[in-house]
Order: sequence, then structure tokens, then C-alpha cells
Amino acid sequence: MSPRAIVLLLSVLCLLADPGWAARRGGTYRLALVTDPPTLDPAQATDTTSSAIIRQLFDGLLELDERMQPVPSLAARWGVSQDQRVYTFHLRPGVRFHHGRELTARDVKASFERAARGKRPWVFEKIQGAPAFIRGQAQAIRGIRVPDARTVEITLERPFAPFPMLMAYDAAFVVPVEEAERLGPAFASRPVGTGPFRFVAWRHDDQVALEAFPGHFRGAPFLERVVYRIIPEETTRFAEYLAGNLEHVDVPTGHFRALRADPALSRELHVWPTLGTYALRFTVTRPPFDNPTLRRAFNHAIDKEAIARVILEESVVVARGVLPPGMPGHDPALVGHPYDPEQARRLLAEAGHPGGRGLPPITLHYNVNPLHRRIAELVQAQLRELGVTIQLASLDWAAYIKLVDDGGTQWHRMGWIADYPDPENFLTVLFHSRNHGAAGNTSRYANPAVDRLLDEADRLPLGPGRLAKYREAERLIVADAPWVFLYHYTSRLLQKPYVRDLERSPLSGAPEMHVAPLRKVWLDR
Amino acid sequence: MLGYVARRLLALVPVLFGVSLLVFILTAIALGDPVRAAMGQRGDPEVIAEIRREYGLDEPIWVQYGLWMGRLLRGDLGRSYHQQRPVTEIVAERFPATLRLALAAMAFAVVLGLAAGLAAAVWRGTALDALVMAGALLGISTPVFWLGLMLILVFAAGLGWFPVSGYGDGGWRHLVLPALTLGALQTGVIARMARASLLEVIGQEYIRTARAKGLAEARVLGKHALRNALLPVVTVVGIGLADLLVGAPLTETVFAWPGLGRMLVAAVGQRDLPVVMGAVLLFAVIYVVGNLLVDLAYGAIDPRLRR
Repeated sequence: MSPRAIVLLLSVLCLLADPGWAARRGGTYRLALVTDPPTLDPAQATDTTSSAIIRQLFDGLLELDERMQPVPSLAARWGVSQDQRVYTFHLRPGVRFHHGRELTARDVKASFERAARGKRPWVFEKIQGAPAFIRGQAQAIRGIRVPDARTVEITLERPFAPFPMLMAYDAAFVVPVEEAERLGPAFASRPVGTGPFRFVAWRHDDQVALEAFPGHFRGAPFLERVVYRIIPEETTRFAEYLAGNLEHVDVPTGHFRALRADPALSRELHVWPTLGTYALRFTVTRPPFDNPTLRRAFNHAIDKEAIARVILEESVVVARGVLPPGMPGHDPALVGHPYDPEQARRLLAEAGHPGGRGLPPITLHYNVNPLHRRIAELVQAQLRELGVTIQLASLDWAAYIKLVDDGGTQWHRMGWIADYPDPENFLTVLFHSRNHGAAGNTSRYANPAVDRLLDEADRLPLGPGRLAKYREAERLIVADAPWVFLYHYTSRLLQKPYVRDLERSPLSGAPEMHVAPLRKVWLDR
Repeated sequence: MLGYVARRLLALVPVLFGVSLLVFILTAIALGDPVRAAMGQRGDPEVIAEIRREYGLDEPIWVQYGLWMGRLLRGDLGRSYHQQRPVTEIVAERFPATLRLALAAMAFAVVLGLAAGLAAAVWRGTALDALVMAGALLGISTPVFWLGLMLILVFAAGLGWFPVSGYGDGGWRHLVLPALTLGALQTGVIARMARASLLEVIGQEYIRTARAKGLAEARVLGKHALRNALLPVVTVVGIGLADLLVGAPLTETVFAWPGLGRMLVAAVGQRDLPVVMGAVLLFAVIYVVGNLLVDLAYGAIDPRLRR
């Protein structure tokens, strides 16, 4: 083969190896948000709507790839010490903020300290000295060191294997602190980051516009602009999609079966599992649900398959435990508490309430939402067949979450979607006794054996040994039945055929697609 | 006249005080906590307590009200808990969109409602009269939410004549469907009122006298009947405009219109007290000023009332 042919062959191979070789540049990506984002400041955001935009404007030290594994972002590489406590991040050279200044390691430290006193301090609480700093008892986080302008060294209080995932979480994104201080609260409306898109305009309750940042360290993104339209009504969003005004949209409630049967739109329909679990949580410290036998009886009395079939149009996965499929540690062998009315009757009698007799008035609380209402009504009907009468009560979110946090319900619905793909984010957050109430464990469940297993697992390095401990903890939790495990979420999306490389991550759902990096997306038209 | 206007405006002060006190107490004692609601599903109890202290939410309710009132007297409506921006900025941003929508809806309602109502009265008992009355009833009784979605599906998604939703570049095309939706009820009300009022007037003796004098029917109706028939319609329009300004949240939601009503509903859900207070005070002013304008319009239409 001649040298010229070899060069040609190598060029073709290089082009094929680069997935972006055929990608077209330009165009505007239009997507909808359900509400106006409360903030565009990573330190203040607590919701996926804000996060969807923040993730395009800012970068973290690391990011999660399509397989949800941490990979370099602002940090070109990182390492961890033998004792799994000290993480060293080496920054890329030449990274610039949108206003032109070069990023340094001091920005990382200042951003972390700023965010640790923001609304998601839990992202930083594993760092040595962070709890004292968060409570205002220290001037700085002791565990964050900046040996030079390109190196950040973070020491943890104790080993925590998912820590790199926290470094990819949007609360840990890096901001130019002098700009954030200069603007004060206005930084939330005029954000400056290092991300692939920069902020252009925000007309509240109408739209947010971003444009490509040509100086991004990975090069300019394919899209020229991104426009987020704020459209609260799902039917209106769907109509905008049909009119060709949105590149993707969520599937309106009750339309899933019809869309699946539609010859044209079914080709634009995408369904994928999300790392989330929907459950009806008992407050296990309050009668009558301080009785595990009664909790198990309720679990067996509820037909989860019927809920999935009748209400959710067979678009979800029935839950047998806490961890959703796709989450490391998910136990496919877990049986859970399948629908079994006879078993439910036996357990009701064993709990001292044969045929539901002698039970105090029971109320199932849910926050105002047509889906939650329909599920609660079906559960109410199913329990009635066993002689158990329950009342339903709905509240708006502000009232509801306060009541739930305070342990003021007997039984309440709650969903949980992973912040990062690690079982700690489900099991420890939601079932460890130190997290009662607002911190996540709204059931106020406490089991010393579970606490011990979770504490041990949280400190182990990633691997089968750690997952085995989480599985054991989950089995104990499921046996204690602090929740009625209903289903694991799926996301449903309609996407125009010309949209390329929109990542459908198990961590995000439509319409926000909040973890999808839009820098990878391009329009094939 | 000036003294009358000044007295009416002065009466606004106790009204606003009463409204502010009532809304403050109702919002503050409602279940829920704005700080907790803003923390998402996972809130750190210490951080929640710290932010509550920062906003003064740990103070007794009368202290909170006093602080709010003190700021108000200095022209400061406070900062939104949720958006962390000045309430005056938030309200000033949304009000023009709501005003534009309400004025367009009222213009549509007045033109169509008045024309239909007067035509129904003139041709009383005909098929046209029945059609107008049936249409008016439909306009009054059709749920705004449903009507909005139907208009979107037919005229925007289907025929493509108008944009589906949003404020767009502020052009009239984005305004048409939301204005039709919001104005439907008022159109029905004005049509019925105009018909009833004109029928009452043309049954009176002075109209019979005018006809007996040999005046042309158009002159009888246009010069003598219409002016008097318009009085009750002006009342409906005045109060109706205030209703449209305040009552637009559903239309604003369906059409993703960035107005004040939608913002108020969200603020109530978030227990964002400063925003709720700011918006409610503005609405109270709109109602009082709307009533005042109706009274002034009476005088302009019927000179006897100026005495």
C-alpha cells in the first residue's frame, strides 16, 4: 500500500472514530420547561428545572458520561490516596469563564465554600471540616487545599467511594466568585460560568435563551442557540411540539398508549428507565403503622400491577424493593410483597385487626396532582375490598412537605429520583436513622442493623463487597415494609427525528432532560 | 370633581391596609413553610432554620407584618423568598403582559358583545336574537381552560393561523387566542346586558315620543336610546376590566403567557409572602381605581349624574 493510500485510510478511520465527524453546526434547540426556574445559581438551585440550564452554563471538576461514570471535565485527571480519603484534582490549562478570566484552583475552593453555605450543603458535608463551616463555626473548609493554581486537594472525613459523583453534581459547579459577589443575588439571573453555552436573556415565565460559547475548553458546541420555553400546561407543550416549535417534549398524561399506536409519532417516542422509586411511605413511629405486620398486610393488599396497568399505561416497572433496575446493587431476586389478598387478610388478623376491625381512622396524604390522586383512589378502593377504610387528603407542596417532614402524616406518597447513581443516595439517605424528616427518611424508619450495614457500606471502596452490604440492608428494609413500594419510574419523550445525540440518561426525565449535555446535540436538517 | 377624586383615592388607604392585613395573616398562618418548600425534597434542617432567621420568618407574625409595613412605607415591597429578587421588579415585569391581555380581551368583548347585544335587541324575537343569546350563554358557561385548549388545537396546532402559546416578540398574533379565551365570558355578559338595557330603554315613553315626532329609527336608537342604554354596560365594562386583570391565571397558564395572575398562583403555592402581598395590593388598587373610573364615566355619559 502506498504512503498516500495509508494516509487516506488513516484519515477515514479517524473520521469514523470521531462520533462528531458528520455533525452539523448551527441551529437553535427549543425545549420546554414546566415552571420558571427559581434560580440559575448552582449554589441556590434545588430543582431539576434550574439544574437543566445550570448544567449548560457551568462545568464541574468531573461529569458523568453516558454510562453514568465520572469522567474528566474541568479536571483533566484526578487521583485518590491509598486510604481513600484524599482526592487530588489537576485542572485543565486555559479554561476560561464566559467573561474572559482564566479559571484557577482558587475558584474551585471558593465555589465549594460558597455552595456549602447554599441550599445543598449535603454535597460537601463529607469533606473534612465542612460541617463546622456549614454551621458558621469555621472560616474555611479545612479539607480543601489549593497547593498551586492548577491543583485542588480534597480530604474527606472518612472514605466515601461515590465522592467523584458528587464532584459531577451541579451544586459543585465552579463559578467566578468575584462576579458572584459583585452581582450578589442578581448572579442567579445573570450567571457567568465556563460551560459550553453562555447566558443571553431570561424573560421570566416566558423563556430563557443561551448561545454557544466559542471559548469553551472542548471547543464550541454544535448548536448555535438553546431556547427554553416555559410552558406549564402539558397539552400546550404537546401542541407546540406538533406545530414543530419544540425539538422534544414530554408525553402528556393519558396519551402514551395512543402515541404508541400512532404510526408516525410512535417513531418519535422514546421510553427508558429512570433511577427513581414511587412509594407510599408509612410514618413508622405513629400508630397504627408502628406495627410491621400491619405494614406488610397493606403491602400485600395493594395491586401494584393494576396501578401500573390502569393508571400508568404499562409504562413503568412494578417495584419489589427500594433500588430501581439499573442502579448498582439492584437485586433482581428480591420478591418484595406481591399482591396477595389472602395473605393480606391473614396478616391483618395477625396484626389484631381481622377484616380491618379495630383500626383507627387512617389518612393517606398526597400532594395535589392528578396522578397522585388517581393512585390514592385506586389504593383506597383496593383496601376497601379487605374491609379497610382509609381517608384521602391532599395538600399543595409547601404545606405537604412541611407536614411530612414533621412526621405529621400516618401514610404519605413520595417519589425519589437519584441525585447520583449510587445505592447510598437511596438507602442511606432514605432509611438511615440519622436522616429522619427533612433529610430524607420521612418514614422515620430506624433499624440498628440497617444503620450498621449502611455505615459500613458507605465507607467501603466501590465493588462487590460494598454492593453486597447494600443488598443485605435493602432486604432487611423490605422485610420491615416501611413503604408500599409501588413502581420504578420511566421517562417518556417525544423527540423530532432530526435531533441527534440527545443523551437519555436514567437520571433525567422529560421535558427538562436536566442532565443531558446539550453540547453534544446537533440537528440533522 | 377634583375633590371627589381625591376623596375616593384617600379612601384607598384603609382599603389597602385592611386587604394587606387580611392577606398577610391568611398567608402566614396557612400550612407550609416557604423556605422548606424551596429546598426541594431533601432539606437540611439547620440550613432551613438559618434561612428562616435571615428572612425574619422566625419572628411572631405581628412583628413580621410590622417590618413589612415599615418597608412598604419606604416604597419597598421586599424580596421574593423564591426568586430572591425585589418584588417591585417582579411585579413591574409581569404587569404589562397582563394589562395588554386584559385590554385586548376587553376590546374584543366590548366590540363583539355590544354589537351582538344591540343587534339582538333591535331584532328581538328573531333567529338572530336566539343565536346571540345562545352564543352569550355559551361564552359565559364555557370553562376557560377547555376553550383555550380547543382554540389552540384548532387555530394554532391545526390550521396554523396563530402561534400556539407564549409572548413571542410581543406582536398581535400571539395575543389573539388568549384574548379571545379570556374575553369570552365578558363578551357574553356584555351582550346580555346591552340587549336587556336597550330593550328597557326603547320601551320608555320618550322613545315613543321621538318616534311619534317622525325621527328616523337609526336616529332614535343612536341618539336617544343608545346613550342611556350604555350606562349599565359601562358598569359591567369597568368592573369586568378589573376582573380580567385579576382573573387571568387560567388563560395565562394555558397559553404560557408571562402575566401577573400565573405568577400570583405560583407564589401562593410557594408561600412566597412578599410576592403575594405585592400582587394582591396591586389588584386591590386596580379594583378601587376601576370603580372610580366607572363612576367618572357615568358622569361623562349622563350629565344629570354630575350634579
